[in-house]
Amino acid sequence: MFVLPPPPRYPAGAYGVGLGGVVPLIETNNTLSNPSGPEFRFLVGEGTYVLKEDLNLATPPPHPSEAPVVNPNPLATTPQPATAGTKMSILSLESRPPPFFYRGPSATTLSLTGGTLSIQEHPSESRYSTEGGMSSDDGRAASSEGPAASTTFGSAPAFGEGNSLLAPTVSKDVNKKKKPKNNVTKSNSSFISRVIVNDSLARKLTERPLDGLFAFANINRAFQWLDMSSPTKQDYLTKILFTKAHCLCHDVNMVTKSVSHIDVIMGFSTGEIIWWEPISQRYTRLNKNGIINNTPVAEIRWIPGSENLFLAAHMDGLLVVYDKEKEDGHLNPEEEGLTASGSGSEGELSNGSAISNGIRGIRINKSVHSKNQKTNPVAAWKLSNQRINAFSFSPDNRHLAVVSEDGTLRVIDYLSEKLLHLYHSYYGGLSCVCWTPDGKYVLTGGQDDLISIWSIADKALVARCQGHRSWVSALAFDLWRCDDRNYRFGSVGEDGRLCLWDFSVGMLHRPKTVAPTLHRGSVSSKFTAPHRTDTNMSMNSDGKGSIPEDEWEENVIEHAVQPRAVIPMLPPVLTHVVDSHPACWLAFTEDAVITSCKQGHVRTWNRPGVPTGNEEKA
Amino acid sequence: MAGFFNKIKSASTPSTAQATKDVVPKKKDEIVPELTPLEKMLQNAGPLREDGTDKFFGFENALFYSDLFRESVINYPSLSPSGTPNGSRPKVNVTIRPPMPAPPPQQQKKGISNKEAMKQRQAINNGQPVPGQPVVKPEDKPDTPEYKKKHAMLKGPILELAQENAVGYGMDECTFTGLKDIFLAVLQSSTRTGVLSPQRFLEIFKRDNEMFRNSMHQDAHEFYGLVLNDVIANVEANARRLQEQLDIKGNSELAHSVQTALGSALMNNMTGYRTPGTGWVHDIFEGVLTSETKCLTCETASQRDETFLDLSIDLEQHSSVTSCLRKFSAEEMLCERNKFHCDHCGGLQEAEKRMKVKRLPKVLTLHLKRFKYTEDYSRLQKLFHRVVYPYHLRMFNTTDDAEDPDRMYELYAVVVHIGGNAYHGHYVSIIKTKDRGWVLFDDEMVEPVDKHFVRNFFGDKPGMATAYVLFYQETTFEKVREEQEREGMEEVKLATQAANIAQDESSDKPDPAPLKRQVTTPVVMPEHESLATLAHAATATGVPLPTSPIIESPKIPEMPFVAAQGVGLTGKNATKIETKSRDDLKREKKEREAAEKAAKQAEKEKEKLREKQLREDDKKRKEDHMKAMQARRNEQDELAKVLEASKKSAAVEEAARKKEEGGSSGFLDRSKRGSKSMSKRSFSFFKDRNSSLDTTTNGDAPEKEKEKEKKTGRMSIGLGRKRSTPFLA
Repeated sequence: MFVLPPPPRYPAGAYGVGLGGVVPLIETNNTLSNPSGPEFRFLVGEGTYVLKEDLNLATPPPHPSEAPVVNPNPLATTPQPATAGTKMSILSLESRPPPFFYRGPSATTLSLTGGTLSIQEHPSESRYSTEGGMSSDDGRAASSEGPAASTTFGSAPAFGEGNSLLAPTVSKDVNKKKKPKNNVTKSNSSFISRVIVNDSLARKLTERPLDGLFAFANINRAFQWLDMSSPTKQDYLTKILFTKAHCLCHDVNMVTKSVSHIDVIMGFSTGEIIWWEPISQRYTRLNKNGIINNTPVAEIRWIPGSENLFLAAHMDGLLVVYDKEKEDGHLNPEEEGLTASGSGSEGELSNGSAISNGIRGIRINKSVHSKNQKTNPVAAWKLSNQRINAFSFSPDNRHLAVVSEDGTLRVIDYLSEKLLHLYHSYYGGLSCVCWTPDGKYVLTGGQDDLISIWSIADKALVARCQGHRSWVSALAFDLWRCDDRNYRFGSVGEDGRLCLWDFSVGMLHRPKTVAPTLHRGSVSSKFTAPHRTDTNMSMNSDGKGSIPEDEWEENVIEHAVQPRAVIPMLPPVLTHVVDSHPACWLAFTEDAVITSCKQGHVRTWNRPGVPTGNEEKA
Repeated sequence: MAGFFNKIKSASTPSTAQATKDVVPKKKDEIVPELTPLEKMLQNAGPLREDGTDKFFGFENALFYSDLFRESVINYPSLSPSGTPNGSRPKVNVTIRPPMPAPPPQQQKKGISNKEAMKQRQAINNGQPVPGQPVVKPEDKPDTPEYKKKHAMLKGPILELAQENAVGYGMDECTFTGLKDIFLAVLQSSTRTGVLSPQRFLEIFKRDNEMFRNSMHQDAHEFYGLVLNDVIANVEANARRLQEQLDIKGNSELAHSVQTALGSALMNNMTGYRTPGTGWVHDIFEGVLTSETKCLTCETASQRDETFLDLSIDLEQHSSVTSCLRKFSAEEMLCERNKFHCDHCGGLQEAEKRMKVKRLPKVLTLHLKRFKYTEDYSRLQKLFHRVVYPYHLRMFNTTDDAEDPDRMYELYAVVVHIGGNAYHGHYVSIIKTKDRGWVLFDDEMVEPVDKHFVRNFFGDKPGMATAYVLFYQETTFEKVREEQEREGMEEVKLATQAANIAQDESSDKPDPAPLKRQVTTPVVMPEHESLATLAHAATATGVPLPTSPIIESPKIPEMPFVAAQGVGLTGKNATKIETKSRDDLKREKKEREAAEKAAKQAEKEKEKLREKQLREDDKKRKEDHMKAMQARRNEQDELAKVLEASKKSAAVEEAARKKEEGGSSGFLDRSKRGSKSMSKRSFSFFKDRNSSLDTTTNGDAPEKEKEKEKKTGRMSIGLGRKRSTPFLA
């Protein structure tokens, strides 16, 4: 028999006290530390990465007006505001060529409707790095383009091209870019609680090296602008505290950036969006009060090459293109009936069924070709009713990969607003997505603890990467260690681990057993999973039965889940615990790998050979 | 499961489980039944189903909701030897207690233990007690679990199984018959909700299982294992008896189950009798593990199969269930004291061993080993590792020859342990019902919850509530897809709620809004689903919140409804935009101010008003909702009309709100979802209300608690935040 035990002693802090549950009551400052020890370095083939520093962004306390949501009942059904750990947007103002140029073997142009969908980036690709997948580290690499962006419009038409209403008004002077209308420091908006600008901001901006990195980071209701090249980087340049809304995602426009102008957009848990120009400290609110969509913004990105347009993924499965300078309008799906027909057959075809089954296509709530472009949104596409977790533009600026909580990966031709492919995770939701720098493969990570590699050319899953011990939360390519045939990418997960992976084209095309993955095109030729077939999938997806074969090329292709046995499983070249909290973001820069976690720890791991600050001091 | 379990904890206090709540005392001695969220959800439920899937009794558990298991149990003695006519099930002898104005003494006793814990909870969480304030008993406060539990008891019906039906089944009274009786009783009940006392079942269970014959808190996983084992043993014993035509007396399960009791995962080796028709328990829950052992000396590999009813998996910090399962199958070295006896080379040798799943069960039960023996304290410690579990799962650790190694599983039940250690605590379960979404079963309280609620128990949230047993059931990819499409609307709704939580106050400040913003439109896509489903989706998700006056209406703002019914047009409904007109904003501001005044009024009055208002609101909302649903279908109209309509509706709504104001003191904890306007108002009440909560809940709660603790000598609930250690002392 048991004897009643002594009163429990809880390990204070270590367990149980929720990672998300710790809410500071007083406002604290960022801290910078330089931990060292064996656990703060890791060895890969190319050498040893060493932790340079750990910048801990202070989690802001709840707004005074907001009574702390402390419900004693652990079963309380009170919904919590959406939060998204700390993500960063990194930016370098200096123009420098990307680490390498991707020159496709052939300069074939893309045929969007043809059966041979092979994505090769344009030989004069100079923009791929702008969209370096999920990572926002493209700052350095991307800088070469800027005003030259129009040259690339030739290869991939700019989004909205052909609609004269969207034709960019050519700004005569780069330095006279249009600024947002409101001053953030003098704002009396109740959306923004407080703005703290560094006293010596002007001096800091002039004294810093031009190639230094700026970083924008969110943590709960705070948004910080940091100078990563400063030795005292814990002193933010500007910190904005919002009243209730949490900033979930943000992005910096690589086209418009200059010493005197930076366009930052932020997406919020309220669904609202802020366009902020940090140098002049001005801002504009978009989707105010959720007028266009009132669900949280899970991901937000500038459309490659565009000065004004950006894409926001709302959690109800709606992708919305906004123009930073337009007023909020009213999203009225009725009008799309008209515009969609103009935009092509796919729009119409998918219009009816898309919403109800969410599979056959995307529903175009407003087409980019709409004649009404006076107000936002510029375009709106409903993918499904499931929450979108992330999306990523392809390096050739034609495609968009979108992943959702229901475990789907959608490849969309966003120029013509067509859904091209629909893939499914092994199981569970997908949380992150990114493209290889050459646009040949899409990588996704999700709740099956796997990273899946999908070949665009082969239209199939080519490999699964197993190495994380929990859900994968972010992916990024290391552009400095990729070349024509070999790819290096990194991933972080809720297990607080960083995994580095190498794969090459050769590895991917070596099938494990049979070679179902090499078959191109129609799903019917594919290996049929024992538990399901493609046919019955299409049947139950809309109840219409399978589509005739000849329609496949035009319709969306939905791909079957591949059984485990037939897909090669890749191991990581490294796994290392980089944080004691679930990690949520990573990026590669020329000198380092940067990771962040849900608690606001931003850790910079120097590449082999790069001296750490610690050593310099010593 | 959890339901049962609490009963065991409070050993001597027979208790009941329930399914309804929120009977709201309108006047002191008059009880006016109020629709509970659950009932609301069930309102359009249609006729009762034969298979019992639409019964929501408090006791219900993961086993009942496993379709296979339930049906098997019910149908098991298909040909009863005692000659029960085929087709007519033996009626279970059920006493249905009418709803009582006052709970019977025994139940009160149970209530006390709950209250006690709750008070502690509140005291802990509300910070400093404010002396001199009148104390409101937790069970008198709507929104607390105690309140709901109490009123569920008041409302009934309470099913008590007076005596066993064992003879009818041709079996001796045993765990199986007890379970079957319970299932049958629920099935035969003419209501969808109610309270069922599992006391008889527990008596039998305790009789057969010595371990449970005390007042200790017991382990849900052990209980699950024992119940299943007992059922297997009972069924097999019965089969054996029938087969041999012998009058074997007594159940053999006792010895067996006691042997296998202690938390073992692979608890059974019951390879004995497998007569046709008796293996159904195995068919459902049993899988086969293969342990491959490779002797490192002679390289001989040997395999041994063992069956399992569940898998107990070790946890590590920041991991996923997937990863824990993989680790379960990772290679293990048998060396040193743990050497392997190799038949081939003879003697103890070092060996490699790994366990893989050879046959996947239909219902995969995963027991997360949250309780770990620590030498330092020489006691079991609870691990609060964050272990994430997906809604769907496939097993990586199958053998190469396993049948259908990519089988898809879906999460359908979670047993949650709330508490700081292995010796105290409270169990609840969250179960996915067939078509009513996820439902939380907490003793007598049964409440619909949204899908995301299930993710609150990874182990990283404050409150010490962690998932402890996960039930995954076999499904197919097609079903999953279908379901995702069905759930779509709910997802949208949840997303909207999430946004509204964080909605800023700026909307309180009327901005000059352009006219076009005046059209408010619901988030619902009209053409998405049939009317019935829509209605269901909306109600179901609106429900999770217990009652409060400013509670969410199913997130769809009221305005469009009014507009829809008034003018019969809502050309804009299909858009997913919720906007505020200027009127709206002003009105809200006014309202808020008024409400703040109101909030200062005496508590009692508010309570009454609130309840009244609540009922009205519910009705109104429901009506509006239904009308809007229909109206939305024939929507097609010009903007101008809509504008007018919304203006009108604004007026109407304002009138309604004015009425409402009196009672709008509001509750904090749950009021924040729902339509934007609603949530905003609740925010404004937040402060006032909060202070009043403090005053009302704390008081001298701690003292009382101590007293009660002395009386009962145990507590059944350990809640509260982690750092407030003293409360379990």
